[in-house]
Amino acid sequence: MTTPRRNAGCSNPIDAAVLMDYWLAVLPPQAEETLEEHVMTCDGCGDRLREMIALAEGLGALARSGSLQVIVGEQLITHAGERGLRVREYAASPGEAIQCTVSADDDVLAARLAVDVTKASRVDLSWCDSRGIEHRRMTDIPIRADTDRVICQQSITWAKASPTSTMVARLIAVEEGGHERVLGEYTFHHTRTIPGPPGWEMP
Amino acid sequence: MLSELSDAEVTQRIAAGQRDAEAEMCRRMAPRIRLYGLRHLRSAAAADDLVQQVLLKTIEALRAGRLRDSDKLAPFVLGTCRMTVLDLRRSVRRQEQLLDTFGAVLVPEPPPAPRLDGSQLARCVQSLGERERSVVVMTFYDEQTAAEAAAFLGLSEGNVRVIRHRALHQLRECMGATA
Repeated sequence: MTTPRRNAGCSNPIDAAVLMDYWLAVLPPQAEETLEEHVMTCDGCGDRLREMIALAEGLGALARSGSLQVIVGEQLITHAGERGLRVREYAASPGEAIQCTVSADDDVLAARLAVDVTKASRVDLSWCDSRGIEHRRMTDIPIRADTDRVICQQSITWAKASPTSTMVARLIAVEEGGHERVLGEYTFHHTRTIPGPPGWEMP
Repeated sequence: MLSELSDAEVTQRIAAGQRDAEAEMCRRMAPRIRLYGLRHLRSAAAADDLVQQVLLKTIEALRAGRLRDSDKLAPFVLGTCRMTVLDLRRSVRRQEQLLDTFGAVLVPEPPPAPRLDGSQLARCVQSLGERERSVVVMTFYDEQTAAEAAAFLGLSEGNVRVIRHRALHQLRECMGATA
């Protein structure tokens, strides 16, 4: 391996995905060793690894912020609790209406939606207002065929700013040809308990 | 200009007693050692300590002429990184002793961390597909393994890796990365 001079361009740059795998410690030992030998001689790839580390740290902070609307696994909710975060969860069965709120010191908000998805190849999660108008559709959400629930983390930032309102979540099986079948409908009557300005739209 | 010299030339000058070549070696190697430390020690402070320790050992070796092949500076530094991290893991006490002895000798100045627009990153993550977003969140929340994400998604670890790579590619494009 040659020794490029500082600031010289890299003739054999390492792929960004491989650099991220290195940071995540998922490369095989031999590949990790080869990468380290290269980075120890190549400032260009070192700079790009630094970018990957910044991206990983940014994504970690964002993921832990609770501000993303995302389908998550049970483990993530457990980990959040173990980290000392305050998790507010609401569990709902199909057809059920839930009274809910968030407080200023909540960190994570999650909805557990009981559902049978055994015959569904693709499932969408639709968020509607009380008139049934869809405001957001989470298309082809990741679920296991043998699961009995979907856990959706709602943005805690958005929920804290939300006025008293009603949201309806619909889990929809989308079949070939686009035919849709509602697997479950869950109503959340949110009561605002945090003072703040009214007026906003659902995301 | 010292910065134009090859590693081998810098090594030879250190062996010849040129102190400015030592400074150049430190300037050149410190960011690389720090990256190794960040990856293996998961702490900026520990990585900075590693930089100090490895540079000290390297300077001692070069002054003493123990690096016979001057073209092998980078492998020597990497080997020293590996041995030092192993030592650190074996004995936290020994680490503290080393730092007590050498801590103030070399104060590394890490390169500025790349700036990341957090708001833009949030928008980019929110624009990912649901599967990609879930994998990204599960991967980076507290660095869960692909196995954990795979178990949640009912996919193979290989598939999770492919989804993660695809998501990262989209995110880097969205963030304006060029390479």
